[in-house]
Amino acid sequence: MHLIDVQTGLLADNDAIAAENREMLRRRGIYAVNVMSAPGAGKTSLLERLLPQLAARWRVAVIEGDIVGSADAERLAKLDLPVVQINTGNACHLDARMVHRAVHDVVHGPADVLVFENVGNLVCPAEFDLGEDDALMLLSVTEGHDKPKKYPLMFRRAGLLVVNKMDLLPMTDFNLDDAVAAARDVHPGLDVVRTSCRTGEGVAEVAAWLERRIAAKRGVGAAPALPPLPPSPAPPKG
Amino acid sequence: MHEAGIAQHLIDIAGEHLERVPHGAVRRLNVRIGELAGVNAESLDFAFECLSRGSVVEGARLEVERVPLTVDCDGCGSRTAVVDLVFRCGKCGGEKTRVATGRELQFVSIDVDEASREDVRASD
Repeated sequence: MHLIDVQTGLLADNDAIAAENREMLRRRGIYAVNVMSAPGAGKTSLLERLLPQLAARWRVAVIEGDIVGSADAERLAKLDLPVVQINTGNACHLDARMVHRAVHDVVHGPADVLVFENVGNLVCPAEFDLGEDDALMLLSVTEGHDKPKKYPLMFRRAGLLVVNKMDLLPMTDFNLDDAVAAARDVHPGLDVVRTSCRTGEGVAEVAAWLERRIAAKRGVGAAPALPPLPPSPAPPKG
Repeated sequence: MHEAGIAQHLIDIAGEHLERVPHGAVRRLNVRIGELAGVNAESLDFAFECLSRGSVVEGARLEVERVPLTVDCDGCGSRTAVVDLVFRCGKCGGEKTRVATGRELQFVSIDVDEASREDVRASD
């Protein structure tokens, strides 16, 4: 028997291209955020509410990842922002190579902020660095509070956890305290904002969090600090 | 869920390495996968078995070494195991920790039989 030494990281190719993407963005001072969640958690709905707030101050571009179709890109294009649709075909996530060309186009256009809307999936997107500054993940209350320990890598990656569909909370058995505690076991100190894209609750806080991160990267006046998480309502009885 | 892509990547990398050296039968591909890597070893095995048919690594076994999850604490400097997916320091309870091991997704090596004369001729 004879041993051939390989010693190659299986994500090495992706990480190298992600580093190129990150460097292109850094040179132009563009802040990038990778928005991830399970399918149907409300990524596009959040962006519909959030991006107009960011666009009041920054030039925002979007790279939209979907397996097929352009329904989400069409929704976001109504916000009058440049949106690039990427269809991943059979891939369940965006990777650095897929977005490389689009990132190249963004850095050559007018932009301060780049938003990647990833394919809905809590597993694979967590493995693939795109070159972003921050990962923002949504967990909707209809998914259940046990998710942080089922998908730990995603919760580790997240810089901000957005707990969405708060308006539906009374209809569910979702225990917000348990969800936040589990998320902070996996990612101690993780920032959490509660939102409802129906009522608009919490969206301004998400915008403020991003504003601080954008300002930090671009070295300009920061938005006020995130207020501490208010106590959650008592879980529904029964 | 991207195990098929990873299996194909393994087969491609193996092909590149095997092209360079004369060898006999390919026995084993050794990979190291961290507990936190989003890869299911069984799915990877199945994808590898399907995709390796007709390739240079057909018939080879995929040997997966799982790497346990540990964190390094920025506060006290200890390396401790992550138990029940709690990533705080196991020694001082510190919250500022970094994953030390458990994220690996590494193709380590290939076990092959020594090349016979026919193998050397075949690779010429």
